[in-house]
Amino acid sequence: MRLQARSLAYLFIAGAALGLLTLVFPHSDQIRDFELVILAAVAILIAVVIWVFADRVRPWQLHVVLATGTIILSLANYYVEATVIYPVLYTWTALYAFYFFRLEIALAHIALIAVGYAVVLVLVEPPSAVVRWLLAVGTPLIAGLLISRLLGMLRVGVQDAERRTRALQESEARTRLVLDGAPDAFVALDRDGIITSWNTAAERLFGWSASEAIGVPFRSLVTPEEFRDRHDERRTALIEMPQVVAMQRYDNEFLRRDGTRFPAEATVSKIEIKGEPFVSGFIRDVSERVRRQQERETLLREQAARAEAERVAELVSGMQLLVDAALAHRTLDDILEDLIMRVRGVLQADAATILLADEEERLTVAASSLPRPSQGEPGEQGEPLQVGEGFAGRVAQTREAMLAHDPAPADLPDPALGQLEIESLIGVPLLAENAVTGVLVVASVAPRRFSAEDLTLLRLAADRVALAIEHARVYEREHKIAVTLQESLLPAKMPDVPGLEVAARYLPAATEADVGGDWYDVIPTPTGGLGLVMGDVAGKGLAAASMVSRLRSALRAYALEGHEPARVIEQLNRLVWTEARDSQMATLLYMVVEPGESRVDWVNAGHPAPLLVNGRGAGHYLEGPSSVPLGVLPFPSYETVTSAMEPGSSIVLFTDGLIERPGELIDDGMAQLAARVSEAPDDLEELCDHLLQTLVPSSGATDDVAILMLRNLPVTDRFRAEFEAEPEALSQMRAMLRRWLRHAGAGDNAIAEITTACGEAATNAIEHAGGGAAARFEISGRNRDREIEIAVRDRGSWRHPREGDQGRGLSLMRALMDTVEVAPSPEGTTVRLRRRLDSQGGSG
Amino acid sequence: MKDGLVGLEIKELEGVVVAHVTGELDIAGAPHAGERIAEAVPTSARGLVVDMSELDFIDSSGVAMLFGLVRRLSSRRQELRVVAPKGKPVARVLEIVEFERAAPICPDVERALEAID
Repeated sequence: MRLQARSLAYLFIAGAALGLLTLVFPHSDQIRDFELVILAAVAILIAVVIWVFADRVRPWQLHVVLATGTIILSLANYYVEATVIYPVLYTWTALYAFYFFRLEIALAHIALIAVGYAVVLVLVEPPSAVVRWLLAVGTPLIAGLLISRLLGMLRVGVQDAERRTRALQESEARTRLVLDGAPDAFVALDRDGIITSWNTAAERLFGWSASEAIGVPFRSLVTPEEFRDRHDERRTALIEMPQVVAMQRYDNEFLRRDGTRFPAEATVSKIEIKGEPFVSGFIRDVSERVRRQQERETLLREQAARAEAERVAELVSGMQLLVDAALAHRTLDDILEDLIMRVRGVLQADAATILLADEEERLTVAASSLPRPSQGEPGEQGEPLQVGEGFAGRVAQTREAMLAHDPAPADLPDPALGQLEIESLIGVPLLAENAVTGVLVVASVAPRRFSAEDLTLLRLAADRVALAIEHARVYEREHKIAVTLQESLLPAKMPDVPGLEVAARYLPAATEADVGGDWYDVIPTPTGGLGLVMGDVAGKGLAAASMVSRLRSALRAYALEGHEPARVIEQLNRLVWTEARDSQMATLLYMVVEPGESRVDWVNAGHPAPLLVNGRGAGHYLEGPSSVPLGVLPFPSYETVTSAMEPGSSIVLFTDGLIERPGELIDDGMAQLAARVSEAPDDLEELCDHLLQTLVPSSGATDDVAILMLRNLPVTDRFRAEFEAEPEALSQMRAMLRRWLRHAGAGDNAIAEITTACGEAATNAIEHAGGGAAARFEISGRNRDREIEIAVRDRGSWRHPREGDQGRGLSLMRALMDTVEVAPSPEGTTVRLRRRLDSQGGSG
Repeated sequence: MKDGLVGLEIKELEGVVVAHVTGELDIAGAPHAGERIAEAVPTSARGLVVDMSELDFIDSSGVAMLFGLVRRLSSRRQELRVVAPKGKPVARVLEIVEFERAAPICPDVERALEAID
């Protein structure tokens, strides 16, 4: 409507101008100037109004205005009283109507014009009526029809151009809208890189407004310094491309107005506008995409890491099991077998071999696992490898993990692998404290090839394997030392003391790696009795074993000096107190028993009380003060307790391992022990076994168990004893003999004399014994109605006493006894001595 | 001082060495005890008293020890006296081997010292 309205306004202005012209140029007086000026002013006013409101005018308002114009023209004609010029104006009005309106409406307007013109003609110069009507109606009609034909063609052309322009504008606007609404920045550059287009997304993206960006070189605005040359190169290359439309995609980095960088993807193409090349491009901020991708990658890495961690955790727990197994008294060989199976499983390898290095840098196959175990004994065919030799040797030399494909036969770690089609090998060194302790090699059979990832995994496994092996080795070494030490500390053989029977057992804990500090000892006293020791040193392993060693030697030394038990223990306490580090302590029970005596002397340093079992099997724990363990106080008071012990009864000494069971009270354990003893077999050895069977869980002891038993045999009319052929045995023999003789009813003198005579016989036996260190002599006695007969038997050959010192023994024997018989034989010599207790001896 | 089961205390009284032997004197302790006693007697000493009043046991080895001391001392013209109260096992053994033919046996240390001039 705007166009029509403005055209109408021009028409009105033109009309007013024409009217005013007639007033400016010379004209007849008949023209009424004032009225014409009024009409021209009205026309101008209308023109102004419709110009101003051109955008809001409605079609019917235009028709009213146009009709008003016709009336004004008619009035102007009337006042001018001229009819010649005005047809032209009418004609233009009609043309307007034709041009802008539909035919019917245009005809209505023309009819109105014709009426107006006719009225003016009739009023101004009345010619003949016919002429006037013809003029009034015909002139504008014919002129209108004629010209309208012409204008109609013109109008089509105008409308086309207008539509094109409008379409172009709309297209531009749409493009603008599309570009502005686009999520991506749109930028166009000319051949010099000057920005010519910059959409709202570009404004958002870069932070520069279109007015700031357009006309500025792109490179200096948003291209980072280091990429500016590249930008120029790319732009120039694009511009110079022969194709008009060439599209390229780049990953770029750009700068925002605030200086921050962001990754972007640019899709650029060359366009030509009026022969001038431009570069246009969409730029998309991909930092989000990059971030997401990074997140995704991080997530993937995390997932991979977690999977790896889980795999490693599984591996570690597997290895841990093996380490646990190592603690449960397992040998290195056992562990290697397990490790190798484990490694094979983790890597899904077809074969695996562990080679261990020795001090001379030789690698020997220690364990091998093949797909089919029937393929020979692994390791047996293999000669030790020197470090640097073969695949495994190179791994040991370089200390680097290695991956080899299609290995040569010489590179196979185990010749048994030669029967397989080995595709690849991985070898990793086993390192312990920076030394190569061995090499772990896994092999894959075709078609599987190991990858670098397998290498990493094996490296992880190797760490564990090395650790487990080292652990096992250290353990084996220490355990061996500790066991050897401990075994050396336990008496190998019980002393054979007449009148006393001794039995002992030592059972190491099944689940413990280290030997404990439990120990016992049996020491023959100079007076023919036995010192019994049962002790428990706190701690385990070598430290405990060495403490036991010191206690044992010290106790033997003190005991042999003949101190009473409490003094012996006090001395030991000083030893532990002064020597032991780290508040080491030990419980100990020391007991001295003389054969034939109805008592025991004992002292207790914090140890479980001894169990006394009488001849009928009833047991009770001996009561007495239990003082603190050794090493707790510098000067504790220890007291020797004397308890009655009838001949035929037994004493049971033990360590807490025998009475302690998890979840049970110690008192229950002690009651159990007493109960088991009472139901037990009579023989001491069998009793020991019975106690272990009934009190130690079938799964093995949880702690070390030591038992020491002694029985005080009743004195009878007969005795028989064996002694080592050593001078030191003489005093024991005499002590034993005195007790027996007293039991047999001999008086003091008789006891002294018979003992002296037997001593002489025994001295002879010792001197003649021969047969090396293990030589022994035997003494047996019989009391038949106060007739004492004693035989001393050795395995040496009798040498006839010479005169002098050597012969004095025989004379003594003869003087002191009723009869003396020496019976040499190839097996040895027997000296038989007889004496009636009532006689004074010395038959002469 | 103990040596095996033998206790030995040696002192000097008025130029005479007195060796107090306790315990049991047998082949395990006698040879060594004899050595120690002999070494304890300087050439300047007038004599030696071996006090066996508290000795519980003696056998032929102990007797041999005494005869050995007698031999040593007589070569240096030093006198030996043995203290062994009568009725005790030790005196009985010395009696059987007729030790008194080699050196006098006295009932106590005082008499033994007196007997050495």
